[in-house]
Amino acid sequence: MIAVDKRYDIIPNDFNFAGRASSDIKRTLKSMHFSREFIKRVSVAAYEAEINIVIHSRGGKAAFKICEDALYLEFVDIGPGIPDIQLALTPGYSTASEESRLNGFGAGMGFSNILKSVDKMDILSDPNGTVLKLKFNITEADRDENR
Amino acid sequence: MTLGQIIEKYKCNVYSRTPFNTGKEIRYAFCSDLMSDALMIMSTVRESGILEDSVLITGLATNQSIRTAEMLDVQIVCLVRGKIPAQQVIDLADESGITLIGTELTMFNLSGRLYQEGIVGIASKK
Repeated sequence: MIAVDKRYDIIPNDFNFAGRASSDIKRTLKSMHFSREFIKRVSVAAYEAEINIVIHSRGGKAAFKICEDALYLEFVDIGPGIPDIQLALTPGYSTASEESRLNGFGAGMGFSNILKSVDKMDILSDPNGTVLKLKFNITEADRDENR
Repeated sequence: MTLGQIIEKYKCNVYSRTPFNTGKEIRYAFCSDLMSDALMIMSTVRESGILEDSVLITGLATNQSIRTAEMLDVQIVCLVRGKIPAQQVIDLADESGITLIGTELTMFNLSGRLYQEGIVGIASKK
């Protein structure tokens, strides 16, 4: 059964709206009484991925789904793509603009933070755009809001 | 140290309008202008209660400081160097239930004073 199926638009270079999707994801999980630790794990990964699209892309969308014992986040943007994915995954490597840095991002830690939070990550990228898929396994403990 | 003592001792302005508990005990802190660093370090904390009793100290007076605190369950953001937040930042703090305060002290001086009062820095757990 699909318990949640939500979609969000992500606007490029708009630091006022950046984080709106992640904030809604967090609030949805809170209302569903997931554990604080699980919510934090998902929120941090969602926020970093959303910020990546704001900083680096021409705009995109996010999808948030919960199916049985897994939570999926999918981020799709319309380019310009990641030329070297291995390099982008290297902690500290960043191509972010000065404006992004002034907003507290572009430290090159985005993907490192995402990798630490997820159970599975897939990236597909070419100049037409990037698809980032994140999977979080949901255990019994994750469903306990007192944890 | 309580939130009320911090506000009084370091002459903080309280920008957010959401009611807050002046008796709230603050036990931990993290300071950075880089929100990626705050996310990286603070998200490694596993014990419950630590982030809820933390203050995020930053010179970044934008929405992203509020969003970062929100994602981490940090309830208090303290701006340093007399930075004045824009109305939209205050509105977002209210919407997210974050208490937004600010002091004239620099980041180093505020952090040093809080450390002297026994407030512990959050460090990365490998």
